[in-house]
Amino acid sequence: MKLSTKSRYALEALLYMALYSGGRPMRIAEIAAGTGISEGYLEQIFFRLRKAGLLSAVRGKGGGFLFSSPEKTSVGSLVRTLEGTLVPVACAEDLSACKSPMRDRCVSRALWVRLSHEIGGVLDGITLASLAEAFRAKEGTS
Amino acid sequence: MKISTRGRYGLRAMIDLCMHAQGEYISLRSIAKRQYLSSGYLEGIFAALKKAGLVHGSAGSCGGYLPALPADQITIRMILEPLESSMSLLDGPENGASSLRSFLNREVWSKVDRAVACLLDATTVADLMREFENRDHAVDSSSL
Repeated sequence: MKLSTKSRYALEALLYMALYSGGRPMRIAEIAAGTGISEGYLEQIFFRLRKAGLLSAVRGKGGGFLFSSPEKTSVGSLVRTLEGTLVPVACAEDLSACKSPMRDRCVSRALWVRLSHEIGGVLDGITLASLAEAFRAKEGTS
Repeated sequence: MKISTRGRYGLRAMIDLCMHAQGEYISLRSIAKRQYLSSGYLEGIFAALKKAGLVHGSAGSCGGYLPALPADQITIRMILEPLESSMSLLDGPENGASSLRSFLNREVWSKVDRAVACLLDATTVADLMREFENRDHAVDSSSL
């Protein structure tokens, strides 16, 4: 299975913000420096996250991006925002995505549906807040 | 996260093979015809499945394949593993990964890996065949 770097990097960036922003806006440059992700890539990702309402932008001096609800943001919602879907095979959530004449008699679709539920089950149950808490506990800082 | 075309087609072909295997070798052309798949593409897939020990091949005029195991012993993982380049969401080498990245690999992506592996290990071709057949029956009884 393949997971795009978009989602990987977005999760890293948001976790970084949840851990170190202290509720204040953060500039992309700072997140790039702290995570090693390129500014250009972060700009693309953050544009989409802001459009989806996961982040807000604060203009002017002392501005940047604000991640105000880590406890309401699940990894699942993040991946869906960036990839459009969590499902490993498109037909699982939309039968019309299948172009095969076998679409209505598919021997394998039931598996993809179940697999989608498994993946959603894991990712929808993890919030950025819980990850930040676990990270702080593991690293011995609070 | 996406399953490749090879994996998806390979799974359908393998299920079709098990559904129709009754002693005589099944040609790839018949599978391709039933499933609306390219038999050329299936050749590559079945070469990999044969290498993985999941099918027996027979060349010659009555060429074709048979499953090497009963359907209830062929797990979905056994089929996808030789066909997918990786079943893991973990990316690249862990060496030099930041502590944040390693943490996320452990706490998030590995958890998905485990849940996926669990399901694929626990589901057999026989399970999917049964589900497919029951699905048909459900449709039939609703028309009565």
